[in-house]
Amino acid sequence: MKNLFKATTAFGLALSVAGPVFAAGDEIREITIFSRPQAAQPSEFQFVQLIAQEWRRLGLDVNIEVMPWEQMADIVWYNRDDWDTTGWQMVGRPERSDPDELIFNLFHTTTAPTGYNFIGYENPEYDAIVEAQRTETDIDARRDLIHRAQAILAADQPNLMLAHPQSTFAYDNTVWDPDSVIDQGGIGIRNTWTFINLEPLGDQRDVVLNSTDNVQGINPLWISGGTDSWITELIWDRLLRIGPDGLPQPWAAESYEWLDDSTVEIVLRDGMTWHDGEPVTVEDVVFSFEAAMGDEAPMYSPFVSNIADIEIVDDSTLQFHLNAPSAAFLTASLSKLNLIPQHIWAPVLEDLATRDEENAEDYQEEIPIGSGPFQFSSWLTNEEIVLEANQDHFSAPNVDRWILRIVPNTEASLGMLRSGEINFLSDYPGDPNILIEIAGEDGDLEVVSTVDMGFRYVAFNHRRPPFSDPAFRQALSMAINRDLIVGAAFRGFAVPSNSVISPALAFWHNDDVDEFETGVEVAQAILAEAGYEVIDGRLHYPDGVSETLGE
Amino acid sequence: MSGVKRFVSRLLQLVFVLWAVATILFLIFRLMPGSPLAAYIDPTFTEEQQRILMARFGLDRPLFEQYLIYLWNLLHGDLGESFFYRQPVGERVLMLLPNTLVLSLFSIILAYMIGVVGGAYLAWKRGSFVEGATIPFVLTTRAMPEFWLGMVLLAVFSFSLGWFPAGGMRTAGSEYPSLLALYTSGDFWRHLFLPALTLAIYFHGLPLLLMRSNMLDVMSEDFVTMARIKGLSNWTIVVRHAARNALLPVATSLAIAIGYQMQGSVVVETVFSWPGLGRELVRAVSASDYPLAQGAFLLIAVVVILMNLLADLLYGLLDPRISHA
Amino acid sequence: MPSETATTTQAAYPSRLNAFVSGLWRIVRSIHLPLSDPFAMIGIIIYLVFFLVAVFANQIAPHDPTEILFTESYDLAADRLPGEDGFVLGTTSLGRDIFSQLVYGSQSALLIGLTAAAVVAVIGTIVGLISGYFGGVVDMMLMRLADIAFGIPFLPFVIVLAAFMEPSIWNVVFAMALILWRDTGRVVRSQVLSLRTRAYVEAARVSGSSNLKIVFRHIAPNILPLSFLYGSIAIGWAILTEASISFLGFGDPETISWGYMLQDAYASQALSTGAYYWFIPPGVCIVLVVVAGFFISRGYEEILFPKLKE
Repeated sequence: MKNLFKATTAFGLALSVAGPVFAAGDEIREITIFSRPQAAQPSEFQFVQLIAQEWRRLGLDVNIEVMPWEQMADIVWYNRDDWDTTGWQMVGRPERSDPDELIFNLFHTTTAPTGYNFIGYENPEYDAIVEAQRTETDIDARRDLIHRAQAILAADQPNLMLAHPQSTFAYDNTVWDPDSVIDQGGIGIRNTWTFINLEPLGDQRDVVLNSTDNVQGINPLWISGGTDSWITELIWDRLLRIGPDGLPQPWAAESYEWLDDSTVEIVLRDGMTWHDGEPVTVEDVVFSFEAAMGDEAPMYSPFVSNIADIEIVDDSTLQFHLNAPSAAFLTASLSKLNLIPQHIWAPVLEDLATRDEENAEDYQEEIPIGSGPFQFSSWLTNEEIVLEANQDHFSAPNVDRWILRIVPNTEASLGMLRSGEINFLSDYPGDPNILIEIAGEDGDLEVVSTVDMGFRYVAFNHRRPPFSDPAFRQALSMAINRDLIVGAAFRGFAVPSNSVISPALAFWHNDDVDEFETGVEVAQAILAEAGYEVIDGRLHYPDGVSETLGE
Repeated sequence: MSGVKRFVSRLLQLVFVLWAVATILFLIFRLMPGSPLAAYIDPTFTEEQQRILMARFGLDRPLFEQYLIYLWNLLHGDLGESFFYRQPVGERVLMLLPNTLVLSLFSIILAYMIGVVGGAYLAWKRGSFVEGATIPFVLTTRAMPEFWLGMVLLAVFSFSLGWFPAGGMRTAGSEYPSLLALYTSGDFWRHLFLPALTLAIYFHGLPLLLMRSNMLDVMSEDFVTMARIKGLSNWTIVVRHAARNALLPVATSLAIAIGYQMQGSVVVETVFSWPGLGRELVRAVSASDYPLAQGAFLLIAVVVILMNLLADLLYGLLDPRISHA
Repeated sequence: MPSETATTTQAAYPSRLNAFVSGLWRIVRSIHLPLSDPFAMIGIIIYLVFFLVAVFANQIAPHDPTEILFTESYDLAADRLPGEDGFVLGTTSLGRDIFSQLVYGSQSALLIGLTAAAVVAVIGTIVGLISGYFGGVVDMMLMRLADIAFGIPFLPFVIVLAAFMEPSIWNVVFAMALILWRDTGRVVRSQVLSLRTRAYVEAARVSGSSNLKIVFRHIAPNILPLSFLYGSIAIGWAILTEASISFLGFGDPETISWGYMLQDAYASQALSTGAYYWFIPPGVCIVLVVVAGFFISRGYEEILFPKLKE
């Protein structure tokens, strides 16, 4: 009945305006926006609904398509001509503390065909700037370039940036000394520094944490699930580590020094041993990098592609010679690659080299051996992973064991935190307000929220008009009130964003792009200026432009 | 038909059903739209690497050849390699199977204990107010979604009262020398109780109603009437004569119940973070890890089929009157 | 009881139309709605109530169940308690009206339940009739198919199907059509086996009635209560299965069902916040509808197996 009524009024309207001829292009086709299901991604599901509601007010016919991640990734990544807009996210990782990865890979023309620039953004001026920042080793000059790149993005609006969510974690403050918990910028308190530094207050000396995901593998040559990286970071050392301030600092390397634009000298720390008792040598370090430079660890090869060769100077010194100067080398390579023992991996890699279809990612050590602050103890499928403190480590942890419980649902994780079954809530996809409320009732729980360096956004496909028009993208972006999104989709636990560089990375973030006006009226003004017109409630292209895609 | 012949024919039937189920599964997973590798191939992979992977999983060959390879591998117990974990599926699912079996078995035993005693009692109290009130109640427990019941039990007994752990199978970091040591530990039973209770509440209706109606049948038979004439007490009749005879068909339904229970555990394992086969299946399906999903499904199916066979044989064994024409 | 339908078999009807009408009446009469059983009556009343709610859902529900609701100051109207701001059962964490979702949930429940029941009963009855009456190779093949269906774990099968097909409430019905005819089929078959040896069937055969006529006139009417028994159980199965599938995240995100509501509540941590008004009502509705099916099936059981009642 209601629908019938709507239909007749629309018909009446159509008749009444049929008279004059408008100088306008074709009606814009139905546009689609992808979202993952509510169960998997409640905030994305919610913000996509809200955005669609606002876009409809501009006269667009918006169709929301809900699909699981696998399907979405398949279309967006492999069928780059086949979608309009999609909810998307970039997650925070310590290596992303350097702006290069996000600012270059997401938008540089060379990554458009098969790489991370899946939206197909092309801007020669932008390309030049992000290329320049790569080789700029003066940090202030580089910052200017990064700021300019952010300003260009703000003007072009290649994506509809929404928010940097806050990561929220909690721990039992009767078990762990709050002063020993370290909040890493852009990452939160669940980080390697916390686990090494954590100081027990009483008899409980095991840190028991949770993960909603299963562990895929514990492998230093495979970048697998997010949870897996918590474990690899603890078992394996790296030459440098990203510090709590986001900057690389010496770790297995006692010191590093730029000899010139493209040569770094490393002095390896003395007296390190693998978990099986063998000493860590410079040959092991060279082996670790060369493993990634070969064919057997494809996921790590992008991080070593700039290395020309590695030279052993003496027992504890080596030099990295680069193909081109690189400002991000310390962060993206030296802080990224795991040091692995040659005596274990050399035979494995040799064997794998004889088999075409398998690589190091398929090899699971029964007892993973690294040199890191924790060593492997046990792995019960879908139940838990137990690591033990490595007391011989130069930065030995204060806890006895690190126990990761696999708990697939959030409700149970919270229940376990309250009952003490876990004492560190390290994975909490739920509503932070609920956690805070529960902590208030409980009294023993400390909740810490940190602005993430990752971000959530809606990607526009520049290959498909009208999204190729910067004015159109601008309008669609300005139509969305970010505060509303933060409140309604992230329950207040996010900061509005207009830049891929999180405000958590204060040194690199360009504050100037943060202020902008939003609202449907603003969007309508931009569209009108660019020649778009609304006829019969539907948005039309500017004069002379025809729709090339609709059905 | 002689016992041996019957057994052989049932065995052949079992092989046939296993083959049919395996084939259906193969067809579902291979004929459905979308590349089965789409989810697996990492965005950073080159086309060459994708090609290698396709070759590795045999996905570049003609369908019929893939099918033959699949059957051949199944015969050798090779369930393929998980896309997600990069590990053999067989190893993984076999490791999880005991956890699911022990949960199913325990909950079934619990359900049958409640059911048999309850059913006998209701038959004894036939026509009473108790019977009138109990039957709709029992039907109601069967009408509850298992996961919902689990959620409510979890909220009350774990979150609010704190009597039971909120999930998992053992306390963090506890070590046991063997599976048997684990399954006999108090810690394990504390973790087992709520999920098993959830399944038992859902499942006790079947043995209860079955027991009740069998009891009513048996109690109308001659020897019971005789006993009554002999002046034996009501309770003696119920326990000594009627219950014993009514129990046989109930016992055979037990095997089938275990099969059904394996299916129910899919949701309950998810609610209670139980490291079993059902949860793995759900996870594998949502991650599009087809070899793993296929393996987990097949293993559940094998248990169901074996239990059907067992029930069938038991039925014939316990009740020779049944003809299997 | 069932055999009374056999008394008028020899009567010759003047026209085919008459035969059709009388046949139809025979079927209607043989459904035997178990009105005399008080439980069955309760079941029927429950259905009636939910049926009315489903039909008049857009009159009863104050909001569109998927609409995101805002306050006048354009704040999200999320997590409102029952009664607050005029929301009878409050709102969800994403600002949807719980009561409206509950009302609209009855539509999908009845839709899924009744179609699944019809499908299971029809397929199962046809298979059972054919298999039991004709026997031989047809019987052998159909019963092997049933064996296969018995070997497929149902819920895992639905999960696997749901993963491949577009999420839709019809997946459950489809899966039930593929698998769950097996129980009905077997029981109907064995009933047919015993019926076909009855005197009046023999008589009809001797008097030259066609197979089709015998099956539909003499056997089918006696089978119908059995089909309805299994159909009314299937309603419950379908609704419970849909709820489980939704809970596991394989449901249709565009259709509001009670299972979807429970999943939403669980994902939004209604347990932790103690939002009982959110996760109890959908569960109770499921229980009511499913148990109504059981009550009615009990009514049929007592028609079919009267000795239980004595």
